[in-house]
Amino acid sequence: MTTNILENIDLRTLGELLQQARKKCSMTQADAAKIIDAARTTVIAIEKGERRIRPNELIKLARAYGRSVSDFVRPRPVVQPFEVQFRAVYQRSQEQQAEIEPFISKLEELCQNYLELEKIMEAPLPQNYPLEYQVTNMPIKSTAESIAVAERQRLGLGDAPISELRDILEQDVGLRIFYLQMPQKYSEVYGYNEEVGGCMAINSNHPEERRRWSMAHGYLHFLAHRQKPEFHFDCQYQRFPESEQLAETFSKYFLMPTSGLLKRFNDIHRTNSKFTPTNLFTLAHYYGVSVEALSYRLEEMELLPSGTWDKLRDRGLKVRKVQEELGLEQIPQRIDIMPLHYQHLAIEALDQGLITEGRFAEFLHVDRLESRRIAEALREYSSGMREEDTDFDLRQIQTAGK
Amino acid sequence: MQITHSHILLDACCVINFCASGQFLAILKSLPAEIVVTTVVQERELKTLQRLQEEENDALLVEFDEAIQQGLLKVVDFESEDEEESFVNYAVDLDDGESATCAIAVHRKWAIATDDDKAIKFLQKKFLHVQILSTPEIIKHWSEKQSIDSLVLSNVLNAIRIKGHYVPPKNDPLRNWWQKSSE
Repeated sequence: MTTNILENIDLRTLGELLQQARKKCSMTQADAAKIIDAARTTVIAIEKGERRIRPNELIKLARAYGRSVSDFVRPRPVVQPFEVQFRAVYQRSQEQQAEIEPFISKLEELCQNYLELEKIMEAPLPQNYPLEYQVTNMPIKSTAESIAVAERQRLGLGDAPISELRDILEQDVGLRIFYLQMPQKYSEVYGYNEEVGGCMAINSNHPEERRRWSMAHGYLHFLAHRQKPEFHFDCQYQRFPESEQLAETFSKYFLMPTSGLLKRFNDIHRTNSKFTPTNLFTLAHYYGVSVEALSYRLEEMELLPSGTWDKLRDRGLKVRKVQEELGLEQIPQRIDIMPLHYQHLAIEALDQGLITEGRFAEFLHVDRLESRRIAEALREYSSGMREEDTDFDLRQIQTAGK
Repeated sequence: MQITHSHILLDACCVINFCASGQFLAILKSLPAEIVVTTVVQERELKTLQRLQEEENDALLVEFDEAIQQGLLKVVDFESEDEEESFVNYAVDLDDGESATCAIAVHRKWAIATDDDKAIKFLQKKFLHVQILSTPEIIKHWSEKQSIDSLVLSNVLNAIRIKGHYVPPKNDPLRNWWQKSSE
């Protein structure tokens, strides 16, 4: 006889989960009571963990909340609700709260899924976190450059362009970076807590140059204001606070380090005896930044006259058109919603029979058919090997061969 | 393929594969048992079938609905507290679709058609009496019983591979048959 899970589950946790789910779909306790044909006080007691829920009540509530029953009963890592951390952000811009909340809630859910996959596969995400940089009362420009140089050195990036920033931050630092579709004005969400570590949601609707800038921006928040969540959007401030100035300045130095940029500019200038708009476009593409950002950076370094970008823009420069004419291919990018490590954990769990196909699809936030297509692609990515072929220790081959 | 139960419950994997085959109704007709799907699977997978239909411009969803209208496919929900309790218990390990399929099959002593590795392991570990059928077994049964032409069979298997993104795993005893028949 199977044990009844509802007799053994932690009632308070289950109650909290039910309450969160009810609130997320804007239902009242009275609404929930109607669904299970009970008094409101019964729902209150269930949500407080004071009354054991019956199987058919749980099934009815899960259906009404648009959730799986398994969301409530399977063992999942407990994550402190992001809502608590982001309260300060909401307070700063209350009118935005309704619009922002769904993205924060989605980021929280994705992070929780990530932790669950790590637990299933017994493979925690390796974290290579530096100590938090102390920036209080420090001059912004030199502090930003100093952190950028230190981080480049720590990550072995030298002063070269960073081609795949997302992969580096995900795999070499251990941040959880998701690409979410958000309205144009939003760029990036950064959050941190003890269970999850550092995580970000980047607006996948933006061009890659901007996404990279947003990632660098969020990375500074992780490096210097780790515990402070952030939701970055256009026209957010009338006057930029120092933390934001630092993040913007850091992005500039991190993506376009002075020494490397100076060297490359000089090489081009020496070879051609001039620095043309074509050179500007090519160099921006090489660094994976916008032409505008590079122009301002070169102006600031006194390599181009002040006002160069403004003049180009006033002449009606069409950046995308010129990029197409110059045949500048898209800069390397991976626009999947999920981090690569997350996807690999999910496919390994599926192929080892540790999760069902339905759960795999849920982890990837797609329907079953799309999940099968992704599974095929992921298996091909793993050197064309499949299932049991990929689940062995390569080091054992040498031992067995001896 | 011997079917020892009065009913076969299709899980979502099999529903998608059979719909992708383009021979959903014919496959159901060939099976010597009542074919059933749970409400949970129906509700969850309708969207997938809808997308498959839009992508492929095939009447996949129509076939699914027609199967229900013709009584070839029955939709069932939980009928007792025991089934509901089992469903909730299985949901600790499985997704809702697989849990519902397993709970109803276990209590009503029906067979299950599934290709889901985790669900198969779960059933084999806990409920040895439940017969488990797979997509390859059912397709092979249909092709033999209806004496399907090899070209038609090959087209069906390729449709399942391409539209349904499914091929039997390496350890499936019918994998070789599937591959040869696909050529």
